[in-house]
Amino acid sequence: MSITVLGVNHRTAPLDVRERFAHERREVPASLERVLAAGARGGVLLSTCNRTEFYLAEADVAVPEAVWAILSERLGGGRSASEYGYTRRDRDAVRHLYRVSAGLDAMILGESQIQGQVRDAWETSKGQAGPVLHRLFQSALLVGARVRSETGLATGAASAPSAAVAVAARIFTRLAGRSALILGAGDMAELAATCLASEGVRVTLVANRTYERARAIAEQMGARALTLDEAWEHFADADIVLSSTAAPHAVVTWDHVAPAVARRGGRPLCILDLGMPRDVEPAVAQLENVFLYDIDDLQAVAAQAAAERRRDIPAAERIVSEEVERFWAWYGGLVVVPVLKEFRERLDQVRATELERALRRLAHLSPEDRGEIEHFSQTLLNKFLHQPTLALKEAAQAGRGYGLLEALKRLFGLERRDDP
Amino acid sequence: MVLVPHLIALALYALAAALALAPFAGLRSAPRALRLGVPLLGIAAHVIGIARVTSFLGVAPTLSMLALFLVALQAASEGLFGASAVGVFTGPLATGLLGLALLIGLAPEGPPPSGRGAWSILHITVSVLGLAMLALAFIAAALYLLQFRELKAKRFGAVFRLFPPLERLDQLNHLSLVLGFPTVTLGVLLGFGVRYAGGASVDAAQVVWGMLTWVVLGWAVGVRVVRHWAGRRAAFASIASFTAVLLVYVALKLAAPGTQRFL
Repeated sequence: MSITVLGVNHRTAPLDVRERFAHERREVPASLERVLAAGARGGVLLSTCNRTEFYLAEADVAVPEAVWAILSERLGGGRSASEYGYTRRDRDAVRHLYRVSAGLDAMILGESQIQGQVRDAWETSKGQAGPVLHRLFQSALLVGARVRSETGLATGAASAPSAAVAVAARIFTRLAGRSALILGAGDMAELAATCLASEGVRVTLVANRTYERARAIAEQMGARALTLDEAWEHFADADIVLSSTAAPHAVVTWDHVAPAVARRGGRPLCILDLGMPRDVEPAVAQLENVFLYDIDDLQAVAAQAAAERRRDIPAAERIVSEEVERFWAWYGGLVVVPVLKEFRERLDQVRATELERALRRLAHLSPEDRGEIEHFSQTLLNKFLHQPTLALKEAAQAGRGYGLLEALKRLFGLERRDDP
Repeated sequence: MVLVPHLIALALYALAAALALAPFAGLRSAPRALRLGVPLLGIAAHVIGIARVTSFLGVAPTLSMLALFLVALQAASEGLFGASAVGVFTGPLATGLLGLALLIGLAPEGPPPSGRGAWSILHITVSVLGLAMLALAFIAAALYLLQFRELKAKRFGAVFRLFPPLERLDQLNHLSLVLGFPTVTLGVLLGFGVRYAGGASVDAAQVVWGMLTWVVLGWAVGVRVVRHWAGRRAAFASIASFTAVLLVYVALKLAAPGTQRFL
């Protein structure tokens, strides 16, 4: 028995390489099928924008080759995927998954999206996972939840879009029901708008230099499209303005918005300028009850949250270590029982053969004496087996059974019948 | 026993203040149950102590009652508005007020003074409750201005992270002011009633300055309710009105010092 993880992540491969390895949900069963055909007893494929990892049960020599072959095919150009990859085995593989699930291995420390991705991977691969990986992924989700509830690893807003939400949440009592005006059609604005929408903010207006582009995005978000010139009036009623235009200079100026802001009656207005270069003239921040934040400000909020989260890494790692030991104890117990059974049967077979041979030579003995000798052989075997059995069980409970078990199998040439 | 429950309340208020201040010192925030439970236990002990005080006329019992209402309003702010940062001000303030009351010396147990029964207690209780509400409005306004300054200056430190959202502080200020003003008005009217019914004369300076303060308070409420001021302007108005109350009180106490009477 063994557990192995092979894969690539944001630390080992650049984005253009990771994009090639990424599997869509529908592609997962076929790739796993190839790995199982190579000899693995179970497999789960975790594929996100930051990582593609194969978790495998009982991966012998041919299996890693199959994994790298699958990934190399996607890479193309005759390049080997293993150049970008890593392999972790047994305890290290378990620890790796737990760290991934807890957000300790994420690009943004503590990000919680990975928890859902681990769950998706498990559910997609359920038919091919096998009992050990099934249990491993189940426990990984619990470890992720435990780290998030017992440490501050998931607190604060550690990315610019989530920082945008955090900043708006310091201004408004509730974000749900607030109206947002989107200026421009940049990816970052769309991402931040999605983050705000997930908090219940209504994107009511989308304005862009070209009306057609604004209409395309507005339709996606269930909003109304405007041209930029039509947007300034709406600074009087929107709660949040999210700007990310491709303009080379500031498009939101004091002159454009000051008259509309004056009609707000003291209600706060949060302007999130995600444009690069900035879309909003800094002077707009001087308007009463206008709170203007650019991308640097949001990144400062994110960096601060990340620094806060880093303080909790030791506590999170402690939880991961505890849970690795807990899993390994279960895993050791799982494999020790069948091996012990086989060990006992093998020795009992030797005892019975030798007893029979000895009794053949001692044909003159009475049935009582023969019975006594048989009893003696049984007792002797039990005495010999007692200490190793006890030691193995104790080691298994303490999570150290795997090494002893391998030694036992090798010393006594036991069959590979230990797989659950 | 008046002293023991007051001392228990003092210790619990101090603990509640420490819990409120802890996150600002970089420590982990206490669980909400603890942040609410400790002041509530303090309130329970304090109520037991106050119930045994027989005279509420002096400065000490009034300060003690003010501390009680401040902590009660702090717990209400935390429970209803999630405004745990209010405790940063009310916690130390209530602890200080109660400590001062104990230093001055609470009235010994004994029969109530003649002619000053339930109406007198009601006058003092309502007035102090109104005062505590105005203090809460002042605190909410101060928190608002601090958070406003941090947000405008793009400083994302402890105030940004731990203070409630601006809008919530504005709502808390509005509610405290709108409830506090009629409560104080009722308390003052009860006071006049008690004094005239008892045949006691009211000092002219108290009447003049009291009316002036009432007008300032009324203005702060008026601009919020009638002219719909909100945000920073309303916060400044609230702070100005409560400051007027404090200054007038200090001036009147300087004119007629002593701890036998609150005013």
